[in-house]
Amino acid sequence: MIPFDWVEPASLKEAVSLLDADDSTVRPISGGTALMLMMKPGFFVPSRLVSLAKIEADYSSIRAGGDGSLRVGAMTSLAELERSAAAIVNFPVMKGALQTLSNIRVRNVARVGGALAHGDPHMDLPPLFATLGARVSVVGPDGTRDIAVEDLYLGYYQTVLKNNELIAEAIVPPLNGARAAYKKITSRSADDWPALNMGVRLEMADANTIKAARVVLGAASERVTRLAQTESLLTGAIVNDGLLKRVSESAAAEARFVSDAHGSAAYKRELLRVYLPRTIKEALS
Amino acid sequence: MSETRTIRFTLNGRPASAAIQSHHNLVELLHQLGLFGARESCGQGLCGCCTVLVDDVAVSGCLYLALGVNGKSVTTIEHLDESGTLSPVQQAFIEAGAFQCGFCTPGFVLMTHQLLKQNPDPSEDEIRHYLAGNLCRCAAYPEIVEAVRLAARTMKQARA
Repeated sequence: MIPFDWVEPASLKEAVSLLDADDSTVRPISGGTALMLMMKPGFFVPSRLVSLAKIEADYSSIRAGGDGSLRVGAMTSLAELERSAAAIVNFPVMKGALQTLSNIRVRNVARVGGALAHGDPHMDLPPLFATLGARVSVVGPDGTRDIAVEDLYLGYYQTVLKNNELIAEAIVPPLNGARAAYKKITSRSADDWPALNMGVRLEMADANTIKAARVVLGAASERVTRLAQTESLLTGAIVNDGLLKRVSESAAAEARFVSDAHGSAAYKRELLRVYLPRTIKEALS
Repeated sequence: MSETRTIRFTLNGRPASAAIQSHHNLVELLHQLGLFGARESCGQGLCGCCTVLVDDVAVSGCLYLALGVNGKSVTTIEHLDESGTLSPVQQAFIEAGAFQCGFCTPGFVLMTHQLLKQNPDPSEDEIRHYLAGNLCRCAAYPEIVEAVRLAARTMKQARA
């Protein structure tokens, strides 16, 4: 790595003013674990890093709403989220997903806002939060805007966030009885980057009939993606082996797979075919 | 832009300062100060050889900018036996024979300290989960898990 300018703003507003809409070599840094991985081999060479450390205290709370929703400050560490009773009680699916996310040291340091803003499709938090229908509150020079997590990603490391916008908070809507499951499939160790990750959120009309479905795919494709055709197959359907087979074929045909070090596109397609029914069953179990 | 900056922090209980470059990481800072217990091995936060405690939280020193510890408290493996007595975790690693070459051992020992502080009586599954991000190329894993259990027992007896 080569030297860069380093600034430590004392407010979110000041942080935004120190970023530059037209200069991608000026970047915010929170936990920095993902950014360091890009800086060390020279994939990312910053001219200036805007440290968010001094505003951490203002944006690191986890608050459960009376309605079962959750508000997570962007500077909350992944470990704090993993240990948060409010998060786990309202969203049991988070616990397992976070426990196999990298390792405890990375979870101690990596922040929720950074994990959502980075745009690496292999990360767990974006598909997990997209599955749960979460939204983020984004602050820029012209004010605040609200974006669904599923709409954040345009492509590989590409997001709709401008260079001078910062995620301040994530809001996860209540499950309201919906069932959710998240699976991460790695081709090497359990805490490795995944070959495929997948989330399912099902609102049920009765024990066997699905009222509404969200199916989100990560890692296997170039960005976090909702599988809309597969969701419409599930909507209003009665869960049985025939449905699971049709859904699994639909998802395998609908998703766009990318080969990488964690698996070929063909392998990932097969993983999705096998794991989607398992994820649906886990959500309903 | 390339000028050095001076950071002030607490290092192993004592005030410290260092003139550093913006791009130096925490392992480089410690080496500059003559502490070599944290080693950069994988350089990607995967192996745990560079484990350091910052404000009593375990971090991978190789992914942590030295600038980030300004005003904070840093604890390294060197702190554990500064009194002249090995910590119960260090003693347990010796008694269980939980290493061969010892390169990964500082990281495992510091992680075990953190684990036992948060969870004084961990199950084998909890031990393996917590230490999943530490790699031992000599594959002393069974002995390491045994050392963690031994340390947990010793520390429990000491509390009784």
